[in-house]
Parts: sequence; C-alpha cells; structure tokens
Amino acid sequence: MPAYEAVIGLETHIQLNTSSKIFCPCKADSWNDPPNTNICPVCTGLPGVLPVLNQAAVEKAILLATAMHAEVQPVSYFDRKNYFYPDLPKGYQISQYDMPIARGGYLDLPMPDGSLRRVSILKLHLEEDAGKTRNDAGRRLIDFNRCGVPLVEMVTGPDLRSADEAAQYLIRLRQLLRWLGVSEADMEKGHLRCDANVSIRPTGADYLNPKTEIKNVNSIVAVRDAILTEIERQTREVEAGRRIEAWTLEWDEDAGVLRKMRSKETEADYRYFREPDLLPLRVDEAWRQRLLAEFPELPLERRQRFVEQYGLPEYDADILTGERSLSEYFEAAVRSYAGDPKRVSNWLMNDVLRMINELAIPAGELRLTPAYLAEIIKLVDSGAVNTSTGKALLEKVQSSGKAPEAIVQVEGLARVSDQDAIQAACAQVLAENPEQVASYRAGKVTLIGWFVGQVMRKMRGKADPQLARAALEALLKE
Amino acid sequence: MQLCDLPAYQLVEMIKRRQVSAVEVLESTLQRIQAVDGLPGSLAAEGGALETDKVHAFITLTAERARRQAEQVDEAIRAGEDPGPLAGVPFTVKDIFCVRDTPSTAGSRILANFVAPYTATPVARMEAAGGVMLGKVNLDEFTYGSSSESSAFQPSPRNPWDTSRVPGGSSGGCTAAVAAGEGPLSLGTDTAGSIRQPAAFCGVVGMKPTYGRVSRYGLIAFGSSLDCPGPVAHQVRDAALMLQAIAGRDPRDATAANIPVEDYLARLEEEVRGLRIGLSPDYFRITYPDPQGEGFRQEPLPAAISDAVMRAAGRLAELGADIVEDVPMPHTRFGIPAYFVISRVEAASNLHRYDGVKYGYRTPDYVDDLNEMYRRTRAQGFGPQPKLRILMGMYVSAAQYSQQYYTLALRVRTLIRGDFEAAFDPAGRYRLHALLTPTTPTTAFPIGDVYGDSVLMQYADQLTVPANHAGIPGISLPAGFDEAGLPIGVQLLGPDFSEALLLRLGRAFEMVTAEDAWRQRQPPVLNGVRG
Ligand SMILES: [Zn+2]
Repeated sequence: MPAYEAVIGLETHIQLNTSSKIFCPCKADSWNDPPNTNICPVCTGLPGVLPVLNQAAVEKAILLATAMHAEVQPVSYFDRKNYFYPDLPKGYQISQYDMPIARGGYLDLPMPDGSLRRVSILKLHLEEDAGKTRNDAGRRLIDFNRCGVPLVEMVTGPDLRSADEAAQYLIRLRQLLRWLGVSEADMEKGHLRCDANVSIRPTGADYLNPKTEIKNVNSIVAVRDAILTEIERQTREVEAGRRIEAWTLEWDEDAGVLRKMRSKETEADYRYFREPDLLPLRVDEAWRQRLLAEFPELPLERRQRFVEQYGLPEYDADILTGERSLSEYFEAAVRSYAGDPKRVSNWLMNDVLRMINELAIPAGELRLTPAYLAEIIKLVDSGAVNTSTGKALLEKVQSSGKAPEAIVQVEGLARVSDQDAIQAACAQVLAENPEQVASYRAGKVTLIGWFVGQVMRKMRGKADPQLARAALEALLKE
Repeated sequence: MQLCDLPAYQLVEMIKRRQVSAVEVLESTLQRIQAVDGLPGSLAAEGGALETDKVHAFITLTAERARRQAEQVDEAIRAGEDPGPLAGVPFTVKDIFCVRDTPSTAGSRILANFVAPYTATPVARMEAAGGVMLGKVNLDEFTYGSSSESSAFQPSPRNPWDTSRVPGGSSGGCTAAVAAGEGPLSLGTDTAGSIRQPAAFCGVVGMKPTYGRVSRYGLIAFGSSLDCPGPVAHQVRDAALMLQAIAGRDPRDATAANIPVEDYLARLEEEVRGLRIGLSPDYFRITYPDPQGEGFRQEPLPAAISDAVMRAAGRLAELGADIVEDVPMPHTRFGIPAYFVISRVEAASNLHRYDGVKYGYRTPDYVDDLNEMYRRTRAQGFGPQPKLRILMGMYVSAAQYSQQYYTLALRVRTLIRGDFEAAFDPAGRYRLHALLTPTTPTTAFPIGDVYGDSVLMQYADQLTVPANHAGIPGISLPAGFDEAGLPIGVQLLGPDFSEALLLRLGRAFEMVTAEDAWRQRQPPVLNGVRG
C-alpha cells in the first residue's frame, strides 16, 4: 500500500479594513449593525448608479501584495462577474479577472524543524463583497450591509502538504494582515475567509490528481479539521479503488462532516468582461514609492533580526514578533533599558504578555510604557526593590499610569536593608514560632526558607531576602 | 409666436430682465403640451389610435413640481438673486434618467412602478442652473431602438412634422417635444445615435458630447462604454447653453472627464474661415448585411440627403471654410456589427439587476422557487427589445464565443477610432477640424414600417454609431427637407472635446441659412395651435 501526500492550495478572501466601501461612501464595517443600515443607491444596485473606486482599498491591496513579494501591476482592470443571486444587487460582482492588481509572490512558513516552507502566490485581486442571505421560516431575508465591502482574493499554488501546514499558512497570513494593518483578519467575523482545494497523490509523485474544493470554513481549527477529514476520505476512496470527483464540499463544523454542495461540471459561466464604469487601475511608480516609504519590516525578517541583533533564542524572537505592536514595544524597552535584551524579553514574556492578554489590548496601548518597564527592571537590578516588588509594580503602573519611581516613593516600597530592622523582625518571627525553631534546631534546616518568608511577610516584602536569611541563620545558631 | 416657441437663451434674458416671469413661460409651455401632446404613454392605453394627430411625447408630466420650481426662480429674481444660466427655462428629460421622487421607468414595464430616490447629475445641474423640469418623455424601452416605438408606454411619440411617422429614437420623446414647443430644451442620451438621429428626424439640434464630458450618474445604463447624455434644442446657442450647464467632472462618475469645460458661448459666433471640413465617401453609402446571402449590400443614400450635405458644405465654404473631399473612413461599415456585439454584452449585464428582488416589477404569480421568480419576473417585465438584447448579449459573451465576437468587436472599435484619429491628426494628411456627414440614411419612416426588424432598425444608426465607438463628439443640425416635407439632418463630427468648435460651426451654418425658405417652415402639428 503506497503512502500518500496531500496537495493543498488555499483561496483566501481578505476583508480590507477601510473605513468606507470599495465603490461608495457607505461605512464598510457593519459588525453588530442592524441589517440594511449601511447602504446607498450605489451598493444596492439602483438603476443608473456608478461605482467610484476607493483609493484606500487599492493602497491596502498594494501593501499586502508587497508583503507577499507579489508584483504590483502598473495597470490592472476591473471586470464584471455576472450571476444572479438575491444578495448580489447588480446581478454582477465587480472583480478583477485576467489582469489583477498583483501577480506571483510567496509566503514563507517557518516549520517546526526550523526549515521554511515557501508557499507560492498565484495572484491577488480586488473585488467587492456581496450581501448576506438569511432564511427565515421559508422567507429569504437579505442584508445589503456587506455589499461593496472591499476584499482581496489571494490564491496560493498547490504547495501545502498537510492540514497543519494549511493552518500554519492561515496563522502566518493573519499575523501579516494585522502587522500591515490592512485587515482585522478575524476569521470568526468573516474578515478572513478560506476555501481549500485538496487532492492526494502517492508520496513523491509530481502530478496532480482531481481535487475537491472545501467551502465555508470559518476558523483555523475548522480548516485543519476539514482538510484532515477530506484527506482521510480521499485516502479511503483511493484505497477502495474509486475515483476522486471534482466536488465542491461544505464543512459542517458542528457535525464535523463534509457535505457535497455540487459537482464542478455544473459550474456557471460568469461571462466576464471589462467593467465599463471604471477606468483601468493605474498604479504609477510615484504613488507606489510614496505608499511604500513607510513599509514595515515584516515579521519573519524582524524575528531573524531579533535573534541576531539581541541574541534572543528563536522561541523568544518568535513570540515577540507575533504581533507588530509587541515587537515594537520590546525594541523600545530594550533601548530604554540599555542592558541585556534577554532580561527585557523575560520580563515581557513572563509578565507583560499575560497582562496584554488579560486586557486584550495591543502592547502599544499599555499605560505601562516600554520606558516604565525598563525603569522597573533597572530598579530590581540595582537592588532598590526586590523582584517580587518589581512584579507588583508592573500592575501598579498599569492601573495608575504613574511612573514606577513615584510609586516606590509614595508607597515606601524601597527594599529595607537596615540591619537593625531586619534583625528585629527576624527575632520577632523566631519568638513567635518556637515549634519551628525547635525542629530547625533538631536538623530540619530546610525550614530556613519558611522563616525568610515569614520575615518578608512581616516587612511587607521590602526586606532584602539575603540579609534576612543571614540574620535568621545567625540567630538560630545561638 | 408664443413664449413656448422662443429659444431658451431669449427666455433667460426676458425672465432675468423681468419682462416675463418664469411662471408665465411655464404656463405657456403647459398650454402647448395640453394642446398638442394628447394622452401620455401608459402601460394600459392603446388609445393612441384615437389621437393620431398628437405628439405623445410624455410619460410623466410633473406640472406641480415645475410650478414650484418656476415660482422659486421668480422669487429669486425678485430678491435680486441670480437663479442661474437656465433661469426659468422649461425642459424635458428622457425617462432614462432618475429624478428624485418621480417615476423613472426607462419605458419598461419592469420599472413602471420605480420612483427614484435620487436625481441624475445632468438633471440636477440643469435644475441648479435655474431650469424648470416639465417631466419625463418617452423613449424606446431602455433606449433600445431608433424609433421610440418599443416603449412599453403607449402610444409612443409621433413626429410633429408628420404624426403618422416616427420621431426617431431612442430620444424620440425629447426631439418631438422640442420640435412641438413643449419646452425648448430636452435632456437625451446617445448610445449609437439616439440623440442625433431623432434630432435629424424632427428638425432640431441634437448633440452627443465626447464620452465622459457629461456625467452618466443617474442615467439608467444601456451600453455603458457608449452612453452619452446630451442636449436637444431648437437652436445651436441653446444647445451650447445647456451643454455648459451639464458638462464637467462628477465625483460620482469615474468615467467623467477631469478636463476643464470650455466656454461654449464665448466664441460661438466667431468666424469659421480656414477651418478644414472633411467629406467622406464612406458616409454617402449605406452597407447592409444581405439577408438572402453572404456578405453585404451597398446602397447610395437618397439624393435629397446627399444633396443637403453637399449644400451645407457649400454654405460653409462660402464662409471661408476649406472643404476637404475624399477622406477615407474605411471602417465605418463595421460600426453596426461591432456595436451589435459590444452594446448587447453591456446591456445584458446592465439588465441583470432587474430581478424582482429589490424594486420594480415582480411577478404576481405564486412561485416558491427563486429561479422561477426570476424567470417569470423578467419574462413578464421586459418587452421584446430587452429580451433580444439579453439573448444576444449572453450568447456573444459566453466563455466559448467571447473571443470570436466580443474581443473582435473591441478590436474593430479601435480601428474605427483610428479612422478618426487619422482624419483629425494635425500633422496628418487631412488635418480636419470636423467631418461633415449626413446624420441618417433616411428621413423619418412611417410608424410600424421598420419596427419588428431589429437588424434593419439598427442600420438607422450606421452614420452616427462610429462617433460612439470612437468616443468623439457629434452634432446633428437641421439642413432642409425632403420631397415629403420631412426634415433632413447633417452631422458634424470632431475630435475629442471639440464641442466648442462643433457648436461654432453649427452656429455659422445656422446664421448663413437663417433667411432660407426651409428655415421658415413649422411642424404641421402646430398648425392652428401656434396662432
Ligand atoms: Zn453604499
């Protein structure tokens, strides 16, 4: 029995986060808005209206294309894709067909073994979204709010080899979209939609077998599950000597099964032709240069630089570049701190990241600024506060927005290294706990940690633990 | 002479000088409509048979709306304000433009109940200039025709020069209204000749501007890459006045040109000495596909039409224009076949939105299947002309035929444009400022004569459609009458954005022929009405 490998290509629809729609001034984002509240004559296809291209959508598409290393075309065209559906008010979708805004390109995926999988991009094109249809007790209700929301459709080559790789592609794509600020990239809200083309072949073969297309997958987990299920199904079919037919399948997430939507042979002829209501889309060099002047370093590049420039482990670098704001926060903190970057990384990854996740805000919006974080680490380094006070300071700064130094002053948090005060506290602890003292003296020396803890508690964490320990040991020897 | 027979520019002067009020002008025009128009077009009536001597230009007369506008103009003038360059001029609008809160039907059952929630840019601009909109006039259904007979709203408009004949089309309601004094200006559209051909048939001035000179926003689309809104008027000066008001960029139409609008009136009466006017043999014959066999049949134009063009050339030569003969325009004959393909592909797609879902007609039959709802709605809502265009448009844009037809037609279009570029090239052999041609191969034909043969009907546009393919401007001017007393039009075509020059040539021709006997005729429909 031969081993099989999967051949997977993904077609993604990316909702651009422009403030207005692609061909009219209506608000683009209708999340939680009542149906048919962000509509106008243009996006509802009234007689006589005309589309006017939103330059912001073009600019976001150019940013994305550049990040995918795709070639932005100096001239591209819009076409009409003609079909009837109630939520497609003009009876055609304005899209790009044979002359899209960008061609070629790739996205590199870091693999667990440290290698990179290069996924080729065939093309990117701009188009408008359709509305939503809801069936309600035998009636069809249509919400036109989504009509005309700008989308980029991006198609990969058949370069992915497993469900995990497909999931990895979506994770990296989502990271990139947010990094560039071109899409909210929330799959649950439909900002990032994915259809998967799946086929299998004997491992090592170089031909392509008929593929099926899986539609309606709304999360990265669902994409992985659906592809896994389909690979298993195709393997069973092939082993049983049956042919794979070019079906379109729909993923039922609740039931965890794929359902056949239609056979590919019945696919419609969309009668594409150039959209006469729009001019050719020209992206001249000056515009492109202006737009790309502030093009950011991309996640993988930054990750690599963090390893090289700051001597961070791959693991740290990967997490710190997971999100653009976090990576910028890290660099700002390192600059302010002017010490070992790994020390900043530790503080960030252990404590600040948890805070960010709990608050669900980007790192850049913390009241605990990178400079404050650096100041706290320096306070700990210098012994002015102990580590636990340092950690407590993170929360205090975040909740008050005050400078760490000021909080230390006002709250009297500075570490107490006054020998007499520590001596007194230690004596008091020993006097209060005669049983423990007895067992220590009987040989249970590990109790020293417990004694130190008691002293710290008594001194509200301000004691220098080293001094406290020495004082306790001296007193216990007496 | 009644107020409604005066040209727009004179009315504006009189109204601004308070010699007459906008309301008086409006009432005169409404009386004329009352006297000559007869029943408006409607879905029900076949009553046109009873009123064979009426014009039937209107579908919707909005008299009260017009009164309010006229009163506002008069108030503004009393308050010492300037109501604009069209102050108090009544005008009609082809019912293919959306006008807020008025029925905007496209002459089709499928939009019979559609009341537009917004106003088309050119209409809005005329109103902003002080114009008074009288209402919506009849047309071929969705502008698909050259006789205005295909409207779902019957009776269809008649030719004021002979009410047994068509006014031409598809802007037949516009040209019939202007010819009969039902408003001195009308807003039409020209996709293959739909302003110029009916203007020629009705003895009025009609201009198709350069593609993109006038915004298409609010124009219910036919062939989006060909459609041009433009003026219909009695006189060239009025056409210039109206074009001035409607031309210019529009943030709502990406295909509207950003080029500044010239002053069409400033140099209107400058001399035309030294301008080079071309004549092309390719515009003096008509080429039909031979329905019997292979290939094409060529026929010369009727002598009355050729003679009128040659006479016009002679009169322009008297004024010092250089007449350049034998300018080759070899691709003229392919204009109609290429138009058949391009316009129908665009039309079929533009008609997709009429699906019974959002607005307009929906089948009253009970259906529980979506596709059946589409089928019945469209089968019942569209007349034969849209159906023919949908069928052919779907066919020639199908994936397996589109190279063979659509792509080829686009190439032909480029060749036609090339003919004009060569003729107008300032460094070329001909260096023309304009080409002088007949507007139409025939004068107005009898109602029912051609209707039904949609191929033959299309050939009424053979001499006008090349300008639509090329995107260049053209103007049709009255130039005499044939033996039957029917108006003949001549056409001037010029390079992109040469409207000012075409208007100047037109005005020169108008002035040099002002005292000609034919200029003094009036449409028989006005006999006994005009007083
Ligand atoms: Zn809108």
